[in-house]
Amino acid sequence: MPDPKLVFPKPAAIPEKGANASLESKSIPETIAEKRFRNLLEAAPDAILEVDSSGRIMLANESAEKIFGYTREELYSLTVEDLVPAAMRSGHSRHRDSYVSSPQVRPMGSGLDLQAQRKDGSLIPVEISLSPNRVDEGLRVIAVVRDISARKQIEQRLRAIQEQFNAELATKNELLEARNRDVEQANRLKSEFLASMSHELRTPLHTIIGFTELMAEEVEGTLNDKQKRFLGHVLQDSRHLLQLINEILDISKIEAGKLELNVGTFDFATCLDEVMAGIHQQAAAKQIHLENKTTFRDPVYADRLRIKEILYNLLSNAVKFTPNGGSVWVESRTLDHGLEISVCDTGMGIAESDQESIFDKFYQVGSTTKGTREGTGLGLPITKKLVELHGGKIHVASKPGQGSRFTFTLPLLGPPSL
Amino acid sequence: MQRILIVEDKANSRELLRTVLEQQGYAVEEAQDGEQALVKIRERAPDLVLMDLHLPGLNGYDVLKEIRGNPQLASMPVVAVTANAMPGDHERVLAAGFTGYISKPVALSMLREEVNRWLRPK
Repeated sequence: MPDPKLVFPKPAAIPEKGANASLESKSIPETIAEKRFRNLLEAAPDAILEVDSSGRIMLANESAEKIFGYTREELYSLTVEDLVPAAMRSGHSRHRDSYVSSPQVRPMGSGLDLQAQRKDGSLIPVEISLSPNRVDEGLRVIAVVRDISARKQIEQRLRAIQEQFNAELATKNELLEARNRDVEQANRLKSEFLASMSHELRTPLHTIIGFTELMAEEVEGTLNDKQKRFLGHVLQDSRHLLQLINEILDISKIEAGKLELNVGTFDFATCLDEVMAGIHQQAAAKQIHLENKTTFRDPVYADRLRIKEILYNLLSNAVKFTPNGGSVWVESRTLDHGLEISVCDTGMGIAESDQESIFDKFYQVGSTTKGTREGTGLGLPITKKLVELHGGKIHVASKPGQGSRFTFTLPLLGPPSL
Repeated sequence: MQRILIVEDKANSRELLRTVLEQQGYAVEEAQDGEQALVKIRERAPDLVLMDLHLPGLNGYDVLKEIRGNPQLASMPVVAVTANAMPGDHERVLAAGFTGYISKPVALSMLREEVNRWLRPK
């Protein structure tokens, strides 16, 4: 039987209460404190039930009526097992007995998804916390039952959104992976194409250059001057073709990010001497005064062959674009963390409007280079890339008619990626 | 007279190498593919082999493997003469066990130098 003293009938529900209870509740005047506690109980958004040791519901608040769908009268005629889903009912009384034997404040079924059964048989997700309540009649248990349907719904929606998001992410990742594979394949095909192109172009050049050299050596018979000159042209142009092939492969490698520097420590001055010696003949043929004015005598940490290539490209350009009797020289300057090298000439110079473009692929300064258009148009772009691979910069200062000064820097600590 | 075997599928390239080497005073033999090269080498081992890598059938690497697998031929100088001249090709060739590497197009001075490094003309 519900405890008459503690049965708080909601005002409108008084007539619905059991006759005995309502009678008694009316017979005992409510104190102010009791009224305050009753209001508190009724205002709670959670269902609050008090259950005796045999499971009978002794007390229920308004939220209990709303959550379970029973009137308070009905609730007082039920045991708490009637609010447990049918499938769980048998186990529940055992749990209740064990709680009574060691009562303490705790959440019920922690970690489990608890459900309650409403009057109409529907199930709702709930959270329940239990507290023992010792009264004169013995141990009772207060159960605070929270309807978490709304939270569960939100959780479910969040999960659905998360799952959808994950699915979309997985699809995008797959697309990205497929695209990466495509790019890798394209890169591989490009490399294979370059390698086979290189092989196919070199093979005929091999016999063209070889037989031409052989004839020019005159071991197989003497040549007249005209024949010698003609063979010289063939040889020169075949070598130019070879250089073009090499440079196209170089720039392709650089652009594919496949050109790797072979870095080591070496003496810069010796390296420059070797390049100057190689360029000496070209300069002498034009009576160009070639001078090494560098003062840098320390070792550098870089790719020796590529540094020679940079120096050779700049020096041969300088000689090529300087008229007979002019001057070409190299200067050095030590910077805080690097070395600065300038290759200077008294050549035709470069118009301001061309000074950026000369580092672009296949750009050749047209009208100003009368008769000297024999480069590949790749020398300066390659030189620039090689300088940049080393972590340096290159630029040109020039005035038409007065000469040019190509300056590049080289970090002493080596390329940045190393 | 020291004998050089040229393994090369292109006739004009064989003629070029033969002419240069004969001028140097070497005896030259030719093979057009890997199988023919192995037959000639087994018949009578030459003093030096100049071998192209792209060959019909067995390629240059396959032929070298056969040569190096034979204890009597293991130390025979075999130089690759190849148009494979991409970065890394030189290292790859030496790593495979070739004695030397000459890239095409070959400068005649370089060819003579390389051959004389392994042989002395008599």
